[in-house]
Amino acid sequence: MSEDRGTVTALGADPEVALTRDVSWIAENYPLGGGRNVHVSVFLIRAEDQNILIDSGSFYHRESLVRRISRATAGEGIHSLVLSHSDYPHSGNIPAFRRRWGDFEIVASSGEPEIQGLPYARRSRIGGSLEVAGREIDFLDPPLADRSHTSWIYDRASRVLFVADGFGYHHADDEIGLTSRQLPNGFRSEEIYTFHRDTLIWLRYADPAVLMGVLREMFAERDVSWVAPIHGNPIAAEHLDDYLERLEEGVRRIVREQAI
Amino acid sequence: MPREIHPGIHWIQEFGPDRPGIAKSLVDRGAHWYRPGREIHVPQNAFLFTGERTLLFDTLSPAATDRILADLERVLDGRALDYLALSHPDVPHAGNTFRILERHPGAKLVAPSFGRTHELYHLEDAHKVGPGDSLDLGGKRLHFHDAAFLDAAMSMWMTEETSGMLLPVDWMGLPLMDGEGLLFADEFRSPVDEDRYAEFHGRVMFWMRYVDVARTQKEIDLVLETYRPRMVASAHGPVIRADVPRYFEMMKEVVERVATGGRTGVL
Repeated sequence: MSEDRGTVTALGADPEVALTRDVSWIAENYPLGGGRNVHVSVFLIRAEDQNILIDSGSFYHRESLVRRISRATAGEGIHSLVLSHSDYPHSGNIPAFRRRWGDFEIVASSGEPEIQGLPYARRSRIGGSLEVAGREIDFLDPPLADRSHTSWIYDRASRVLFVADGFGYHHADDEIGLTSRQLPNGFRSEEIYTFHRDTLIWLRYADPAVLMGVLREMFAERDVSWVAPIHGNPIAAEHLDDYLERLEEGVRRIVREQAI
Repeated sequence: MPREIHPGIHWIQEFGPDRPGIAKSLVDRGAHWYRPGREIHVPQNAFLFTGERTLLFDTLSPAATDRILADLERVLDGRALDYLALSHPDVPHAGNTFRILERHPGAKLVAPSFGRTHELYHLEDAHKVGPGDSLDLGGKRLHFHDAAFLDAAMSMWMTEETSGMLLPVDWMGLPLMDGEGLLFADEFRSPVDEDRYAEFHGRVMFWMRYVDVARTQKEIDLVLETYRPRMVASAHGPVIRADVPRYFEMMKEVVERVATGGRTGVL
């Protein structure tokens, strides 16, 4: 079980967190001011003999990411990149990483990769599955997202669900790089609320019962070990219900406070 | 070739590639306006405003770099581009920003003020605008607004005073068949109706499947009442120049269709 405890291998400025035996979180931080921050992270899957990166992160963190991915892969770099969507903080390092590690495979869910600036990408289909570097990956229709071509990415082997812009958190300065198992007092409702209010603007129109029903159904149908957000602190399975309760509270508050 | 849709306002379009996947789904569900065998395209639009000064609203996608640069030159005809305004920093809308600024180094970059992550989009030095901000081009007066229906959080809508034009960006787009590029909505041979709009919004605004329909429809009424547009220029649809309220009624129907029928696909 120790491999699933979310071990912080380097506390401080460069936290790298092992979520499972072969999935790690490379947490990058962006300060928002006022003691609040947002993660702009990537995740690394060490498959049999290949390395898969989930999203490429922001160019803002490029040097740090190159250094840390190199270190995490013992200099091998990456063999495949699976993109949740083409928003710049998720896709901003593709050309730089390719210059460094060669023309690795890119998997993207866009209906038309050229329009998203990814003419060389292998297309994934939302609702479909692909084998990527020997791993079975499912591409799920995301209830919490903004861009049309966003997909949530489920790695069957590790049971980690990578949720792109969903499940974010405006963490405090002392919560950088901490998973739900390491947050001293767990998640705070306020920071779940502010993240979703400021990121998924359409939630002001949401029917909370419908949205939360779909989300809970997704998790009931799928065995998830970790929920891995790009902009939040990873959520271990045993903390998911708590997060969902706070999320529902947040969505209801957004709807209530933004009267039309 | 750009089309002048109002004196001093030019419509530049990237017609986009053929989308056989969308065509197949239209055939499968028997979409009444689609003629099997016809190509289907989802356009990207940019709009150039030329008063005493000039402003380009959005850049088209990286697949249309040559198009936007050539069309800009054609319309500007030696004049300077004074402003480049981005509705939101999404690839299909902002993907040619650097190339345009390279060609027009004197242009001032204008971006939505919303949010605190401009650095993550190279927009930290842009001139930021939001609700209540205006820009007088001399003969054209632009106003910036919160986007009511959007994808990226860092977004804005724009209106132009002399034309009564609302630019709602990702809202009010629809798929085109071959031959329908740069046509006003009232020039189409096939109907521009709620079914076409639903095909687009069920992909781009897939989140409408999770909304409170009445609440969202109320917002559409509010948008109409607030802006009272005489023209509507979406980034992905035909320009509407007449009978605008009728199209808003269609959009209310679209919300209901997506909420009950679910997502139609992806773009």
